[in-house]
Amino acid sequence: MKLVGLILFFLTFFSKLQSEGIYNAKSFQLKNGMKVVVVENKRAPVVSQMIWYNFGSGVEEKGKSGLAHFMEHLMFKGTKKFPDNYYSNFISRIGGSENAFTSYDYTAYYQIFPKYELEKIMQMEADRMVNLTLTEENVEIEKKVILEERFQRVESDPSAKLDESMRSILFPNHYYGTPIIGWRHEIENLTFTDVLKFYKKHYIPNNAVLVLSGDVEFEEVKKLSKKYFGRHKKGKVSFGMETRDPLIETSIKVEMSHPTVKQKIWKKFYRVDSYKKSIKKGLALDIGLKILASGSTSLLYESLVNKKKIFSAVGGYYQGLTKGEGNVYFYAIPNEEINLDEVDKIINDEMKIILNQGISEKRFEIEKKKYIFDSIYSRDGILNPAQSIGESLTIGFSLDDIENLNKKINEITIFDVKDALKSFQENKNFIIGGLKS
Amino acid sequence: MIIKILIFLFFLLTNHNVNSIDFEQLRTEKGINFWFVKDKSLPLISMSFSFKGGALLDPSGKEGATNLMVSLLDEGTENFKGNKLKLSLKENGTKISLSAEKEKIEGTFQVVSSQIQEGFWLLYESINKPLFNSEDITKVKKQIQASIKIDKSVVSTQASEKFNEIFFKDSLFSRNVKGTSESLKKISRNDIFKIHKESFTKNNLIIGVAGNIDSENAKKYIDYVFGELPSSKAKRETPPFNNLEKGKEFFEMETPQATIVFGQRGFGRKNKDYFAARVLNYVLGGGGFQSRLYKEVREKNGLVYSIYSYLMPYESDGVIIGGFQTRNKNVDETILKVKQEWKKMKNQGISANELKEAKTYYKGSFSRNFTSTISIATLLKVVQYYDLGKDYFANRSGIIDNLKLKEINSLASRIFDEKNLFFMIVGKRNM
Repeated sequence: MKLVGLILFFLTFFSKLQSEGIYNAKSFQLKNGMKVVVVENKRAPVVSQMIWYNFGSGVEEKGKSGLAHFMEHLMFKGTKKFPDNYYSNFISRIGGSENAFTSYDYTAYYQIFPKYELEKIMQMEADRMVNLTLTEENVEIEKKVILEERFQRVESDPSAKLDESMRSILFPNHYYGTPIIGWRHEIENLTFTDVLKFYKKHYIPNNAVLVLSGDVEFEEVKKLSKKYFGRHKKGKVSFGMETRDPLIETSIKVEMSHPTVKQKIWKKFYRVDSYKKSIKKGLALDIGLKILASGSTSLLYESLVNKKKIFSAVGGYYQGLTKGEGNVYFYAIPNEEINLDEVDKIINDEMKIILNQGISEKRFEIEKKKYIFDSIYSRDGILNPAQSIGESLTIGFSLDDIENLNKKINEITIFDVKDALKSFQENKNFIIGGLKS
Repeated sequence: MIIKILIFLFFLLTNHNVNSIDFEQLRTEKGINFWFVKDKSLPLISMSFSFKGGALLDPSGKEGATNLMVSLLDEGTENFKGNKLKLSLKENGTKISLSAEKEKIEGTFQVVSSQIQEGFWLLYESINKPLFNSEDITKVKKQIQASIKIDKSVVSTQASEKFNEIFFKDSLFSRNVKGTSESLKKISRNDIFKIHKESFTKNNLIIGVAGNIDSENAKKYIDYVFGELPSSKAKRETPPFNNLEKGKEFFEMETPQATIVFGQRGFGRKNKDYFAARVLNYVLGGGGFQSRLYKEVREKNGLVYSIYSYLMPYESDGVIIGGFQTRNKNVDETILKVKQEWKKMKNQGISANELKEAKTYYKGSFSRNFTSTISIATLLKVVQYYDLGKDYFANRSGIIDNLKLKEINSLASRIFDEKNLFFMIVGKRNM
């Protein structure tokens, strides 16, 4: 797909973008149920491969928290055909880079490498989906590594501990309340058998989406996917527990006091509807919160930081790309000593004033335009497209949803945004947190 | 004058892998030089630039002045008062990022093609016409002071700060770019104007541009944005550090896991042995999941989640820095392992196979710089910043091929010395 020359006619540019889709990705499905998506981009002779498994910590059994993330680490331990760290070593040798990450709803692995090694990389990725060889020693040493990771990310960071505690209360009944990395005492008790069981049960082709982005040909990818991933048998998909959380009817405040904390921070987490419930409503809430609380141009910042000088920073954002409920995070750093309730009141009062005055058409148009511009930036690079396509597909959206995002943005009206903010304002499913010394 | 040079990204034995890209060395009417790659694959333009100088040249007692000045550049300008500048950036698909570093001010600028005039106007305003309102100064000072407090609350940032403070002893390199809460109080509005004038001069400027624009327009816009800046004879160079601390120091913090930052002298990017040192470090602690430190400390012993080392080149000298986190009780054992690896590197160097794999890594990884317009622009800038020469792209493969095992191992025995290492430990002593 060539875009050269488009700028000469930038009057037609926006309409063209909308009709053509953002990434112009091509896709197909293998007989065993695995999806494959290709985004061609020939700028440099480089490819990025991402494999997205549509499960994360959400499929763990009760009491086995951290298992999905543990498994992600162990996926680097080698297979019979490519033992030990042959795969990682190979990637380094050819000048590539790689990593992996686990979330509540998905687990993903990626490699960026010179295009002439496409076949070998696809072969090795396919191989480790089903042929991993693990020893008890691998598992025991890796457990120590993961505990160090937990200590690094959470135990030695009071702010992260507060977040973890707030989420566990905000989601008392859903897996979003359990940390992805796992509770310390449960990580300590994970066994070799737990790991093997988890691997066999979940690492199956019909749980996976393969995304290749960069200097590749669709037909070539099709051929190689059939050859290497196509030989794996379809498995039985087991879903995580589909539990819902009760309404929060009490007012909940959590405080983390720690001697190393030198700066007080106020936080507030909300449970809100996700994009899955309605893309349109999700986008309206996102736009509304961007106007209200995102960055130093937001209405809250203008009033509470610039004019009234109560905070040195205040902000918030929506995270709605989730299988279950989404979240909104708010934070504030007060200039003076103010208690948690007082901070909450100041922000609520300000929100009321802003919403009563109404949001200007101009602000609304700026945020909409920004979405369209961002979709141009998102194609500059090869990992970005694979990342946003992979994430959206594993959450449960279609390729069309992603390609036509700009069209949906243009359909949103200022009334949608006002409605979204109004119901957000009435939302009682939140928890307030404070970090102090 | 336009000089067209064919860049060979990487040579590999199989001929279909040879890749080339056109880059131009350009000079504007007002005498500003820059490197340029035309790339029409997307309707956007990216620019990466540096002003030599930076935070270490802040006047004594007013540390943090450069960082404060840079942080104020998007707060309001002559034609975009209050938050108009930031709103216009959003409205015009333009991104500007400016940051103060030790020896330079770094900037990136990106704009979508349809908003090119507006985008460059916004960059012009923020570089040339900042207002530095007293009210904004007070606000941004408070924000930086809050971020200094947050840095002090976090074990890992506290560890790097303490490391710099002690390792670099009395040299300017021991300073924190952000300054201190006290030094920020002493910076006046006049100081900020002065720093602004001194920092942004034509002769200290280095630029790389990539994207959907032709060379004549690129020249025109660069003159527009930077052409009014003063020329200055003053060399903006930081005096080099002399002695570096050795041994170890401990700083007590209430935490179950300690952060350790360590280092020793390395050398500057212009040193002829730089690439060889880079290869040695790649084997020791640089190469992702492949380095000796990673394998020994994480994979075999499970003592850490991450461990690394890297070369930090400065203008006239450089250092090798490393770091890891481990439970308080494992600190001594892990430090010992790092020292052993250091000693092994000094005494035995690397193997023929390790050299071979490092060479193919550096050849293969270079093309990753060409996957986005901003990474192309940044590469063009970095090559100029370190005076690597216009032939660098063509010569790079040759530099790598010419590294010989014997020479590289003799270099290893000269640079790596576990007795010169300094370890900063921030954690809680074992009871």
